Amino acid sequence: MIKLKKIHKRFEDKVIFEDFSLDIEEHKITCILGPSGIGKTTLLKLISGLSKVDYGIITGLSDKRCSFIFQEPRLIPWLNAYDNINYILESVYTNQKSRDSIIRHHLMMVGLSDDMNSYPDNLSGGMKQRLSIARAFAYPSDILLMDEPFNSLDMNLKLSVMESFKNLWKESNKTVIFITHDIDEAILLSNTLHIFDENPARIVFSKTIAPDIMTRNVNDDSLMRIKTEILQNI
Amino acid sequence: MRISISSNRNRLIGITIIIIFWQVLYVLIKKDIYMPSPLNVIRSFVHITTDKDFFAVISSTTFRVLLSFAISTFIGLLIGLVCGLNKIAYEIFEPVIVLIRSTPVISIIIIALIWFRSDYAPVFTGFLMCFPVIWSNVVHGIKSTDQQLVEMSKIYMVKPIKIIRTVYIPSAKPFIAAGLTTSLGLAWKVIAAAEVLSLPKYGIGSKLHDSKIYLESDKLIAWTLIIIIISYLFELVLMRFLSKQNRSNDNGLEGL
Repeated sequence: MIKLKKIHKRFEDKVIFEDFSLDIEEHKITCILGPSGIGKTTLLKLISGLSKVDYGIITGLSDKRCSFIFQEPRLIPWLNAYDNINYILESVYTNQKSRDSIIRHHLMMVGLSDDMNSYPDNLSGGMKQRLSIARAFAYPSDILLMDEPFNSLDMNLKLSVMESFKNLWKESNKTVIFITHDIDEAILLSNTLHIFDENPARIVFSKTIAPDIMTRNVNDDSLMRIKTEILQNI
Repeated sequence: MRISISSNRNRLIGITIIIIFWQVLYVLIKKDIYMPSPLNVIRSFVHITTDKDFFAVISSTTFRVLLSFAISTFIGLLIGLVCGLNKIAYEIFEPVIVLIRSTPVISIIIIALIWFRSDYAPVFTGFLMCFPVIWSNVVHGIKSTDQQLVEMSKIYMVKPIKIIRTVYIPSAKPFIAAGLTTSLGLAWKVIAAAEVLSLPKYGIGSKLHDSKIYLESDKLIAWTLIIIIISYLFELVLMRFLSKQNRSNDNGLEGL
């Protein structure tokens, strides 16, 4: 279990977190839902170690690696799809053969086997984000942090990228912390959902979503009821 | 192909206009000492290039230019990289660069003449002129690197040396290329000027000085043309090399 205990974080005059606590279950997808500027991205930066808490502690992270799927794919333009993944794996796997099979497998899982020699500029928006997802899952991390990764995609593309994500997650069983402000994405992809609101940030609503993520459909009655419940609490 | 032919034709027209304008000035002034005729300059050019000392003169100046350029490139890249990556190093070095940049070239040449032999004073002057150009281009290039890529690399715990090789240096390449091209052209001008004052046994600057002393304007212009041609050829070779590097980079090769 990853535990944030009474953490404080401020940027200059703005208090982001004050006495904030949160438990995150391992090997599950925890979704943080809330409006922009509430501190969702800061939370991911604190967990990934990119930013430090002013006070309080975060436990359950020792010796754990993180991977990240950003809102924008953050691919290196002068490396092809294969090398973009190879770049982050070189320091983890010294054996070229094992690296090669991991990269090929993950590219295949996101449907980019035929594009492994393509450069990011030659990939569509959806392909770029799928490559960024493949990179995050290829990395041997325990925790996957996702900061509104489907935000810039249109609906059809979003569903296909989400499908790639679900397949890889089922295979890897990583602990996922997923940030979004889209209720449908949250309902489709999370085991536990927390709604953030107010300044400093606090959790105003939490919900465990039972149905299997792999078979969820946004039009299911049970999910519709959850959606209504969420809307009442936002 | 058609664009290349038409731009070559335009260049030829430009050069023809300059020569016609030159000839007209010569006819108007009618004094070879102020304005030698294009024909006299061509005669001097042929005379200079067929002289037995020509190769020694050219190779000496070229050696000085390449030596100062190589030292400036090596130190400029190294210190520029450190300063681009580290704010404290940048703040320490910036005043030094401002000081070098603000010092008149003539002062640097005279100081170099006091410190070094006449053969090497131009090399030192060339270094002090070219190093700040390369340094600032490298710093600018490193600082303009997409920080999102650096942040991504840090999250995936990529080794710093790998981040420098794969992210920072390719990002800074266009800036480095511009800095190298500018400083190579600058090196030719500065070293020729420094040779005029330091008067090494062999050097284009020494020949320019002799032309001035003996009031041989045709030779003065012929030597100037030789500097322009050689400097242009070197820039051309450098640009070809850099664009080849860029193509390799586009094909996925890392680093410089």
